[in-house]
Amino acid sequence: MQINGIQIDDTFAEAFDMRGTRVIITAQTLKWAYHAANAMTGFATSVIGCGVEAGIERELSSDETPDGRPGVSILMFAMGSKVLMKQLETRMGQCILTCPTAAAFSGIESPDKISLGKHLRYFGDGFQTSKLIAGKRYWRIPVMDGEFLVQETTGMVRAIGGGNFLILATSQPAALAAAETAIIAMKQVPNVIMPFPGGVVRSGSKVGSKYKTMFASTNDAFCPTLKGLTKTELSPEIESVMEIVIDGMSFEDITTSMRVGIQAICKLKNSGVNRISAGNYGGKLGPHHFKLYEILK
Amino acid sequence: MTALTFTLKKNPSFKVDCRKLSPDKLGGLSVTEIIKLNLLNQNNSPKVADFFEVSGTDTEQIIFKNSTSQLDYIGYKMSRGCITIEGDCGNFLGANMRNGSIICQGTAGDRVGDQLRRGLILIDGSAGDYCGSRMIAGTIGVYGKAGNYAGFAMRRGTLLLTKLPKLHATIQDCGTHSLPFLALLFQSFKPLKSAFNHVKSQRVQRYAGDLACGGNGEILVII
Repeated sequence: MQINGIQIDDTFAEAFDMRGTRVIITAQTLKWAYHAANAMTGFATSVIGCGVEAGIERELSSDETPDGRPGVSILMFAMGSKVLMKQLETRMGQCILTCPTAAAFSGIESPDKISLGKHLRYFGDGFQTSKLIAGKRYWRIPVMDGEFLVQETTGMVRAIGGGNFLILATSQPAALAAAETAIIAMKQVPNVIMPFPGGVVRSGSKVGSKYKTMFASTNDAFCPTLKGLTKTELSPEIESVMEIVIDGMSFEDITTSMRVGIQAICKLKNSGVNRISAGNYGGKLGPHHFKLYEILK
Repeated sequence: MTALTFTLKKNPSFKVDCRKLSPDKLGGLSVTEIIKLNLLNQNNSPKVADFFEVSGTDTEQIIFKNSTSQLDYIGYKMSRGCITIEGDCGNFLGANMRNGSIICQGTAGDRVGDQLRRGLILIDGSAGDYCGSRMIAGTIGVYGKAGNYAGFAMRRGTLLLTKLPKLHATIQDCGTHSLPFLALLFQSFKPLKSAFNHVKSQRVQRYAGDLACGGNGEILVII
């Protein structure tokens, strides 16, 4: 398949089952909501080393938040519910509790609940108080700037992580510019995040390594400087490859996100992008396959 | 379904105990059964029909019309639903309440929300002495004036007032604050027919107490 001269590979992205949650962070100003959210979603690019993958889903205006202040919604994904609970509690304690004027609320309803402020309340040392408002329990924890308001729990849902596509371009600047264009478009899609720095990852990995202690290593087939050394996937004119990884609440959300991102790249003129491909492990590891041809039909 | 409505026929010359007229006690009963109910647990008890005209079917939404300060114990031990009092009410409004909401559009007597555990009581007019006494948790709002010793022996919960009443020595001033949770609380008042649904200010004078009972309760006086 070709779209505006860009070749689309007949391949698929392979993704995994995850557990996901959404948290709404508000603050006195949007700036401070971002400070809290950026801290909370920092060092959360990959479950391999960070435990969770997290990112800012979108900005929320003051009429979209429970307390009428500006805020942002955060999505957080982990391979299992225990890890997600642990990481959420840790990050709430270190990043939201500590951030001036910040408050945190549940962003998703689900029968499965995980703690948002349920355990964090003990920071109040007995001075914490709860309020049950419209059927939802909130905790008020006295802190030095006033009170930290946090909902007791948020919902946890089944989600999918690891949707992806690769941008193969004739130069590094061209690959990066195309990736940035895609990310701008993909950020308009709800229910997804792109957890890597700026939404883009340059160090795609393969399973395994020549070193026994490493269970993932560089994806040499897509490394342009190894074209003569390894069984490469790259044609001679490709000088740089960027990957965009997507975690989402559902298969449809990730499909939409991938379509929007790839179409945004394909609309560019003289972008230097030659091919769009996707990363997989032969289809044997992840149950969710995002086939590029079907996505772009 | 229309709200179950108790219209007081005439103001009684003595106190009437209304503790049996709550959503918990009346659930599943027809109007015919309700008017025959004894108001007290004794053989010569007055019946509902002696005082009230009853109409409507929804026992989760109860309305008292022509209500006066002779009606005590409205909402006693209720755990669900909403009671609206179109008029005044007597003592022990919402005493031992477990959940649900009570809106009083007139004035209330003494000991509003005595031993209140959970739920919401909003009073548009004034409340008598010992409002929120022995309160365990929950929220009481008095838009008018609260009587002496509000919050006496309260353990937890919030008393929301607009004027500072005479307080017991074991309730202490904690200063003036803007409390973020009030935005949520006031938002939840919006659908209610109460004077509180116009309140927007999150600026309050906070009194904590009763220190003789743990001190985790609070009286917030809206500034």
